[in-house]
Amino acid sequence: MAKTISVKLMKRRENIAGYLFASPWLFGLIVLGIFPILMSLYISFTNYDMIAQMRWVGLENYRILLTNDDLFWKSLGNTVYHVVIAVPLGIVVGVGLAFLLNNKVRGMGIYRTLFYLPNVVSVVAMTLLWMWLFQPNFGLVNQLLKPLYELFGADPIGWYLDADTSKITLIIMGLWTAGGSMVIYLAQMQDIPTTLYESAEIDGAGWWQKTIHITLPLMTPSIYFNFIMGLIGSFQVFTMAYIMTNGGPSRSTYYYAYYLFDKMMADNAMGMASAMAWILLVIVLIITILALRLNKYVFYLGDES
Amino acid sequence: MKKITAFLLVLLGGFSVLGCTQNTTGKIEIEFWHMAPVGSEAFSPTRAIINAFNESQTTYYVKGTGFSFWDYWDKINIAISSRTAPDIGLSTLDDVPARASAGVLYNISDLLEADPTGLDLNQLYPNQLAFATYNQDLFALPFTATTRVLYYNLDMFAAAGLTEEDVPTTWDELHAVSKQLDLVDGGVIQQLGFDPTYGNATYHGWLWEAGLDFFDENLNPTLNTQKHIDILNWVKNFNSEFTRNQLVAFGDANAMFGINPFAAQRVAMMVETDGLYQIIKNAGATFDFGVTTIPIPDEDGIRVNWGSGFSIEMYDNGKGEAAQKAGAWEFLKYLMSFQVQKDFSIANGWLMAHKAAMTSAAGDDPIMLRLIEEIEYAKDKVYVPYAPSWHGNDWQPYYNSFLAGDLTAEQALLNARNNYLQKKQNYEATH
Repeated sequence: MAKTISVKLMKRRENIAGYLFASPWLFGLIVLGIFPILMSLYISFTNYDMIAQMRWVGLENYRILLTNDDLFWKSLGNTVYHVVIAVPLGIVVGVGLAFLLNNKVRGMGIYRTLFYLPNVVSVVAMTLLWMWLFQPNFGLVNQLLKPLYELFGADPIGWYLDADTSKITLIIMGLWTAGGSMVIYLAQMQDIPTTLYESAEIDGAGWWQKTIHITLPLMTPSIYFNFIMGLIGSFQVFTMAYIMTNGGPSRSTYYYAYYLFDKMMADNAMGMASAMAWILLVIVLIITILALRLNKYVFYLGDES
Repeated sequence: MKKITAFLLVLLGGFSVLGCTQNTTGKIEIEFWHMAPVGSEAFSPTRAIINAFNESQTTYYVKGTGFSFWDYWDKINIAISSRTAPDIGLSTLDDVPARASAGVLYNISDLLEADPTGLDLNQLYPNQLAFATYNQDLFALPFTATTRVLYYNLDMFAAAGLTEEDVPTTWDELHAVSKQLDLVDGGVIQQLGFDPTYGNATYHGWLWEAGLDFFDENLNPTLNTQKHIDILNWVKNFNSEFTRNQLVAFGDANAMFGINPFAAQRVAMMVETDGLYQIIKNAGATFDFGVTTIPIPDEDGIRVNWGSGFSIEMYDNGKGEAAQKAGAWEFLKYLMSFQVQKDFSIANGWLMAHKAAMTSAAGDDPIMLRLIEEIEYAKDKVYVPYAPSWHGNDWQPYYNSFLAGDLTAEQALLNARNNYLQKKQNYEATH
């Protein structure tokens, strides 16, 4: 006699099987994702020092950070400086590279690989390499600039060892990985229908007009994507400063994420560090929402409106 | 469906068996965390030390877990905070009171009172024991020791017409001898006699020699005296004939290669830890050198150096594990015994806390014996709850700005003091 089961039971069994198969991912999401996020929110309202029992302090951590912590504002200021310069500059360099590499030149594949290569180098190795290059006294950069210094009678630039130039030095270093965004720009650039260029040429448009009126407008989705991702990433700038400058000189490269790290690791103030993380989340959230308003200037191919 | 359920159950069972802490010998298992991971040079000797204990035991079995020095601190701190710490492990000596006050350490004085055999506190340094004390009770024991001394290169001394008799003992002598050892060619430093910012010389170390400190006994910052300013200026002006840029470049040239300037024979005298001796020995260096007490300000100066060490601690995870506690205590006594301390010193090249063991391990090595002599005068930095890194992250930016000429001594000390005061105020608001 054939065994019969109801549709309802079959559905239930299928659901259970589905959950079982998804359980490794669900476990990761809940235990390694949602739980730490919620826990950090709770910890931000306590004085947890990683040893003693945590005690609820309400909004005190937030009050202190916002009203009685000079380094909080100093580190936030340094970070905003980095974001304001590094993000647009990264876009300009990335788009510029994409334009250069969007040519039918012999060996173009090699050039593209070379420009992308820094993205697969570890940040630590890259930073150490740039430390050598930018070392003010015997680094290659100042050796190359030596004739210029002598011509103008100027002192050699102190790069990362000078508080006036340290932030911009780190931004220049960061541009070395512009090949990562370049790949996205290049992909979108090559996705632009050639018919648009052909019709523009018939109308007498030159390279500049085609770039301004066709290429750049049609690249706005990828520029917009990299802008948003760049904003979020730049607010978390940390590694280069940690390895290269230790936040100095004179705390000129003491970024927000670095101060958060020190709050946790040096001061054992996990509650305060968690509060900083949540403040950063709110800042990034507000700036991202504001940035999303720029969406109206993004031109999506095939979008009739 | 049944097959999937059965498979998951088997998997779960497998993990349970693997995760079981019951050892095959039926003995009570004691967990010990150390800093000799698999693959490190010290792993085999450390394992031999643990095995020797296990073989001598009918009741306890010690399971040793080694982490690299750089990983160890995160692991142990997180384990302590999550109350999953090992039964016994190493930590830092200067912040024992912080852990003791949090109730995560067993009281060693109580254990010692109940079982005074096998542990001779007279063999440990009083200055180190003081750091392991909280509310008049011991909550850890010093396991290793570190010390700082003045290293001097006798080959460079000889080239300058100096002998070991000329090794300086005061700051004035240090300056006079240092200047005889400077070598400059075309405005470029070729050899430096000494610099009070190089190596492991610290501003607080110089302050201690003059009877000053960063904080008073109530942990209030005290950086606003003329003496503090004078000593800070002395540090900067020691090599005033060179620009800071020259001095940084000379130091950086070695640092970027990961080479100690003294070991590279570019600096004739330098304040460094005992660890430099091991580095020089391991590198097979052939130059003639010696070590001595760090010069003091004058005849009224205080013979003191910044020394710390690892503590050995028994962790109370609040689970009432009496058997583990008893076993950890037995193992702690074993680790602090003469022979084991000597074996650890030979295995790791560390200075250990046990006086007789270290003297025995040093044999007739004059430098090692001199290093051991200085431990007596070592002093650890005070633990400041509101600024645990007061000598590092909190002070260094002001110190570096001063050395770079961006701040005067007065400004650097005032700004640093204001920062400590703000941190203190903020800490008190949440504790």
